[in-house]
Amino acid sequence: MTASDPITAAAGDLAPAASGAITLRDVTVTYPGGTRALRGVSLSIAPGEMVSVVGLSGSGKSTLIRTINALVPITSGRLLVGEQDVSRLSGRSLRELRGRIGMIFQGFNLAERTSVLSNVLVGRFAHSPAWRSLLGLPSAQDKQIAIEALDSVGILDRAWSRAGALSGGQKQRVAIARALSQQPSVMLADEPVASLDPPTAHSVMQDLLRINEERGLTVLVNLHLMDLARQYTTRMIGLRDGEMVFDGPAADATDQDFEAIYGRPIQGRDVLGSAP
Amino acid sequence: MSTHAQASATLPRRPTHRVRTALILAALIAFSVATCLPAIGGVEIDLESITRNWRNGASKLQQLAQPNLAFLPRTLGPMLETLAMAVVGAVTAALVSIPVTLWAARPSNPHTVTRQLVRFVVNIVRSVPDLVYATILVAMIGVGTLPGVVTLILFDIGVVIKLVSEAIDSTDHPYLEAGRAAGGTQLQINRRTVLPQSWPLLTNQWLYSLELNVRISAILGIVGAGGIGRLLDERRAFYAYEDVSLIILEILIVVVLIELLSTTLRKRLR
Ligand SMILES: Nc1ncnc2c1ncn2[C@@H]1O[C@H](COP(=O)(O)OP(=O)(O)OP(=O)(O)O)[C@@H](O)[C@H]1O
Ligand SMILES: [Mg+2]
Repeated sequence: MTASDPITAAAGDLAPAASGAITLRDVTVTYPGGTRALRGVSLSIAPGEMVSVVGLSGSGKSTLIRTINALVPITSGRLLVGEQDVSRLSGRSLRELRGRIGMIFQGFNLAERTSVLSNVLVGRFAHSPAWRSLLGLPSAQDKQIAIEALDSVGILDRAWSRAGALSGGQKQRVAIARALSQQPSVMLADEPVASLDPPTAHSVMQDLLRINEERGLTVLVNLHLMDLARQYTTRMIGLRDGEMVFDGPAADATDQDFEAIYGRPIQGRDVLGSAP
Repeated sequence: MSTHAQASATLPRRPTHRVRTALILAALIAFSVATCLPAIGGVEIDLESITRNWRNGASKLQQLAQPNLAFLPRTLGPMLETLAMAVVGAVTAALVSIPVTLWAARPSNPHTVTRQLVRFVVNIVRSVPDLVYATILVAMIGVGTLPGVVTLILFDIGVVIKLVSEAIDSTDHPYLEAGRAAGGTQLQINRRTVLPQSWPLLTNQWLYSLELNVRISAILGIVGAGGIGRLLDERRAFYAYEDVSLIILEILIVVVLIELLSTTLRKRLR
């Protein structure tokens, strides 16, 4: 893996100058069924921060992450990404915003019957004219960006494999490459390692950390394991029943802090262990 | 934690539904009997006519058992016509079915109004029997292969679109969320992810419709829609049962061959 940043290098002056700052002011999300998933969350994340979101199942972690690229609309409050008011966007402007927010998922969310390369090219949707994707003719530049994204996560040699034929760790790397090929300024990750075994989980977390450090991306990652949050992120946000109950440096978060977030004593399944 | 050494574990008694099964059976039998009673408007099943016409039927069967092989050369042209109708119909329907299927499935078309509209039209197209299409089309555009091909296309798109769009509806598509999160339009997402994921469903159904087309188009000729069926109808009108027999035999062989081919291909796809 090269020390330089091949993807932004290839993009040259095309890389979006947009900032990765995220601001939430009194954000509330109520689902159609009536569930209040977020209650008055206010928070401000500076560009380049590596932030974890922890909390019990159902505490609103996924909801918080999904409001940022408007996969879940906010019910009230204000949400800014860079200078843009996310809830005001729709159609083309919303797709453009999403184009510079990468996202990775617990279940990888790949089109498993297509090749690794065409999965990564999904990351170029918002950045290239639609006719190119409709005809299946990515521009040389889009292809180069995808190739370098694959190279930076170390699976360029699998570019022509069927995505479904890869292992879990490899699939998550393809998903990271897909997000990277968007040349994003923000990276969202919803439980990215929850489906992986401990060593693979650590190496995927290291990939995320490297992306944060090398490219200066703002990273917001949902985790339910205390030690991963402490080890890989600098700032931790704790959610409990949709309310923000913790916001501070992740490394300093004590077991008591976690017990307060979880509302119960620490258990064995709250840590992954086997740090590399 | 329970130790599996405990011998006291017993399987709960398997639930039985004897009474329910018996009631359902009784209802089915009663219904079947009722439909055969002319007194209450059921279909008349006259078993006596079988014995009455037996002598007549036996001689026909005898003729049918001796296919006239000398007639073979005259059947080849119409048989090729039937095959051509089947292929042209299946291919045209396949092309039409690609966009319309994606239009009719929820994951590829979240817009409820257009989706329901497409489904409504497809359901109407599907509910008309193929022989009705053929008869009407022959009346409209005249005797020949064209009404046959159009009938096959209508029949095929009904089947393919309905079955494949429902199959797409009932599977998970996690990559949709990823495409949306990356800022893709629904069209981009459909073209680059939903469509490649659905190829096996589509090709499977296309091959099956080709298989059905060969069978159907053999019959369509009877109402004047071209192909081998028209020859069959003509020979039957002349009471040339040896020729009819040869044609039936030929249809049988072709249908079996096409089925074999399509089954092998479909197995490969899986
Ligand atoms: N699409 C939805 N419609 C209705 N309610 C929802 C929806 N998604 C989530 N919820 C509800 O909102 C609350 C928060 O859910 P969310 O998925 O954000 O929790 P989470 O912290 O990510 O949990 P987990 O760790 O299990 O993924 C839960 O009560 C959940 O049932
Ligand atoms: Mg979640």
